[in-house]
Amino acid sequence: MNYKGSVKSIFLFVIIALIIMATLVCWVISEAEKSRYQIPVLGQLPEFKFTDQDGRPFGLSDMKGKITVMDFIFTRCQGPCPVMASHFSRLYQLYHGSDIVQLLSISVDPDYDTDSVLKAYADRHGVTDNRWIFLRAPLDSIVAFSEQGLMIAADRESLPGGHSTRFTLIDSEGRIRGYYDGLDDAAITRLKNNINRLVGEIK
Amino acid sequence: MNPDMKTFRRLAVAALVTTYFLIFIGALVRVSGAGLGCPDWPHCFGRWIPPTDVSQLPPEMDPSDFNFVLAWIEYVNRLVGVVVGLLIAAVGVMALVKFRRHKSILASSIAAALLVAYQGWQGSQVVASELEPLIVSVHMAVAFIIVSLLLYIVYQVHRITYNSEYAPVYPRRIRLWTGVLLLAVMIQVVLGTQVRSAVEIAAGKFPLYSAATWLDEAGMYGYIHSVLGVIIAAGGLYVASRLLGKSINPAPVVRPSAWALMALIFIQTVFGIALYTAGLPGVVQVMHVGLAGMIIGLAMILFVATKPMEIRQ
Repeated sequence: MNYKGSVKSIFLFVIIALIIMATLVCWVISEAEKSRYQIPVLGQLPEFKFTDQDGRPFGLSDMKGKITVMDFIFTRCQGPCPVMASHFSRLYQLYHGSDIVQLLSISVDPDYDTDSVLKAYADRHGVTDNRWIFLRAPLDSIVAFSEQGLMIAADRESLPGGHSTRFTLIDSEGRIRGYYDGLDDAAITRLKNNINRLVGEIK
Repeated sequence: MNPDMKTFRRLAVAALVTTYFLIFIGALVRVSGAGLGCPDWPHCFGRWIPPTDVSQLPPEMDPSDFNFVLAWIEYVNRLVGVVVGLLIAAVGVMALVKFRRHKSILASSIAAALLVAYQGWQGSQVVASELEPLIVSVHMAVAFIIVSLLLYIVYQVHRITYNSEYAPVYPRRIRLWTGVLLLAVMIQVVLGTQVRSAVEIAAGKFPLYSAATWLDEAGMYGYIHSVLGVIIAAGGLYVASRLLGKSINPAPVVRPSAWALMALIFIQTVFGIALYTAGLPGVVQVMHVGLAGMIIGLAMILFVATKPMEIRQ
């Protein structure tokens, strides 16, 4: 074969291959991005009326436009709560640059966890702004909210000790987008990824 | 050319092209974040063919880890990796059986075969380490070495075929400069992997920030990488234009390689600038890595081809 001719065909092959490759890469990356943002919608939260640690009312409308992570706690808890709270603390610090991400801890021990107790608990965890809010309400409405709203079983007899250790991720429209074991580091990593993606959806 | 050599050349060229293809796919895996698309190795979610639906997952696997697209990107990387592995193994075996006389072909073929086997195992470590940046970068560096070896093999076969009868004369000190260029490109690739790792770490720390901020966090590496990039671009253009203008009767591969080097350096520089100014677009990241592999290959070819030859009778 003529040498110049084969060099030309090699050049042509490489150029075409690079162009095809670039097109393919564009397509695959956009598919990958899209697939990442697909976080299934698992349900819609109902209206609710709780109060925060300052006694102000807090409801579904306060979650609109924000990405929310919710969990159940009680301040006297010696079991899983410290681990869950430390995960929440780290999330609180990680997202300090943005007020889009908010954390809600709902007390399942409202008789003991008064506003001032919750406030002291918040202080102990270094909470200085309203990106991490502590909520209380009569136990009946907490149980109802857990079972009918979050779709997390709450056995009234076993509370406060037997509360769920799951974190629930809520999107900017009050829809449930995921559950994460609050005691499992791998689940927390997934939670963070999904928070980032949901924030991306808003922008 | 004897038929064995012809078959061997076909095999080596096939391995070379497939390996370059695989380098692009590998870059795509890293850039699209599909590295843990299959959380296990060599299986993907416990299966030889990745699941197409979450319902096919084994019960012990977490369904929220499953992403169809990411699983398949990672899986294609493994599949093409197997093809590359088999092709290079065939090159190694054939060199061992048929070309023991050609020491350079034999040695580089065996080295490529051993390295590709290592690369397979190293790939499992990438998954096991959950994408530890250093381990991912080593995976890429080994791929560059393998592809350079394959290119060297193809070049040696080519040299035997198109042996020039006249002694070529190259510009003074050009071999030295080509060697320096090759070395600089290798250093540049290592720096590039450092920039990438630093960006990944910054993106983990500041998830909501922009790509520009992550690049700032990459700090020194990013700065050195871009300065060295400019130096390499200037040096590469100098070496290539000297080779084109001042060589007398050069080896046939020299002129096309010098032209290609100039073109790739130009595109690569544009890509480098685009990465900085356009916030790290994914497709440019992938092409940047792929072109780096090609530039290393061309610099290596030029370095080897300008070696002073003894005049044959």
